[in-house]
Amino acid sequence: MASQVTVFVENKPGRISRITRALADGNINIRAITISDRGEYGLINILPDDPDLAEKILLNRGFSVSRKEVIAIIMDDKPGGLADVAEHLNQSNINIANAYGFILQKGKNAVLVLEVDDYAKAEEIIRQGGFHTLSKDELHNI
Amino acid sequence: MSDLYWDKKVETMSREDLRKLQLVRLNETLARARKSLFYKDRLPEKLNDLSELQKIPFTTKQDLRNSFPFKMVAVQQEELVRLHSSSGTTGQATVIYHTKNDIDNWTDLVARCMYMTGVRRSDVFQNMMGYGLFTGGLGLHYGSERLGSLTIPASSGNSKRQIMLMKSFKTTVIHITPSYALHLYTLMKDEGIEPKRDLNLKIAFLGAEPYTEETRKRLEELYGFDAFNSYGLSEMNGPGVAFECKQKDGMHLWEDHYILEVINPKTGEVLEDGEEGEIVLTTLTREGMPIIRYRTGDIAFVYPEACVCGRTHRRISRIKGRSDDMLIINGVNLYPMQIEEVLMGIPEVGHNYLIEIDKVEYLDRINIKVEVRPEIFKGDLNALEKLKYRIADEIKSNVLVKPHITLVEPNSLPASEGKAVRVIDKRKK
Repeated sequence: MASQVTVFVENKPGRISRITRALADGNINIRAITISDRGEYGLINILPDDPDLAEKILLNRGFSVSRKEVIAIIMDDKPGGLADVAEHLNQSNINIANAYGFILQKGKNAVLVLEVDDYAKAEEIIRQGGFHTLSKDELHNI
Repeated sequence: MSDLYWDKKVETMSREDLRKLQLVRLNETLARARKSLFYKDRLPEKLNDLSELQKIPFTTKQDLRNSFPFKMVAVQQEELVRLHSSSGTTGQATVIYHTKNDIDNWTDLVARCMYMTGVRRSDVFQNMMGYGLFTGGLGLHYGSERLGSLTIPASSGNSKRQIMLMKSFKTTVIHITPSYALHLYTLMKDEGIEPKRDLNLKIAFLGAEPYTEETRKRLEELYGFDAFNSYGLSEMNGPGVAFECKQKDGMHLWEDHYILEVINPKTGEVLEDGEEGEIVLTTLTREGMPIIRYRTGDIAFVYPEACVCGRTHRRISRIKGRSDDMLIINGVNLYPMQIEEVLMGIPEVGHNYLIEIDKVEYLDRINIKVEVRPEIFKGDLNALEKLKYRIADEIKSNVLVKPHITLVEPNSLPASEGKAVRVIDKRKK
């Protein structure tokens, strides 16, 4: 199971640079980053190579931080790669709260990150579909 | 001693006898007060009727500050045995001095209040208020000892020890702030303690900060105790000025020790019972520092009817707000305290808020900033939106004005220690 770090931020200039610089200073590599915006405030979701350290660094900087388990699925980097995964999930009635992706090796493979309600069940179903989900260590070492 | 009353003769004295006693004590007070530099030339020789009190000018908080340190003291310094002082965050500190008799009277009043709510010698009283210059801690401590209860001077903070004390000594009565009581309950839940099953709490004195009737009921349900409202201010000793009886319907103000008036805060005119205005109090037994017609700044009304409990001392309502901080929002009068009561009753908010009044497109707006602290942040956007709606709804149903809620990062609001500024009126700029 992969782990995402979510940070509460006010919608003010400089928030992302402050957070990413703090993580850079801690030698954290960010795999992916997304923002859920609610106007006056938002959540920054970060998929770091070392979530434990990233969480600690941001807490020490005075941010409100929360950890969330997410599912990281590795898929082919080719047209239809994402569609294959999405169709399978749709058939299995898994509700997706948030999703984002990033390319690992261009033309070879990519990672789809999913926030779901019941991740244990979701992960099981995804595996049964023949897809590979990344563990925390795998995500760290890529 | 009767079962119901600590001091039956005084508590149930006829109104007529009470007024006679007040006149005698008022004249004694005037004589004592004239010995102070402040009151020396301000007071008449003798009053023949209580109504003549209205001719004497008010004493204000500013007068107390200007009298710092000794101008209002009416006795030789060697007669004084204790002082209490305000924090002085909004100006010069105000200091109140007590003689031995003053402490004795104060103690008796607090014992009377506690007894009225049902506390007896067999009870165990855990005092979770700060000891020190603040009157809440020592005031109830002395009262409880006078009553004869086993008194635990736990003071504030150190939640684990508070819970341990409650369990070890089977505490039956506590004195606590309502927001701390809410917080403590969540800690107990984490430790698997169910207060109604595992503790022996019967009575709680909730104080030192404003709270709604809903918060009282919620705490009563969570803990299974009876919670009582009280009124006190350090200028008038501190706790023990007025307290609810078992009816929990208005607070009996002890008129053998204080003269109670309610005035129109703008004109100074004395109002009838039932009319809302500013409470004005005169000490009747104070020796060290008598205070005549003190403008408390607290807005309330006096119940016109007698209480079924048999006590003849009139009851005052909940304090609705402070006369000096009334806000007018699009023509509606409200007091920040009414909003604070609601906010403090929401555990996710507690003390971490700031109330701002500003104008958006020519309309007044209440904007409440609430910190999203790490303890309450679960990374869930929906939960945050729900919290916003819940705060806005609860305030709307209490003060009839819908506020805007702004969630802010932790530690971005002024620290809540002591009496930080919690209301900023940006319209005044």
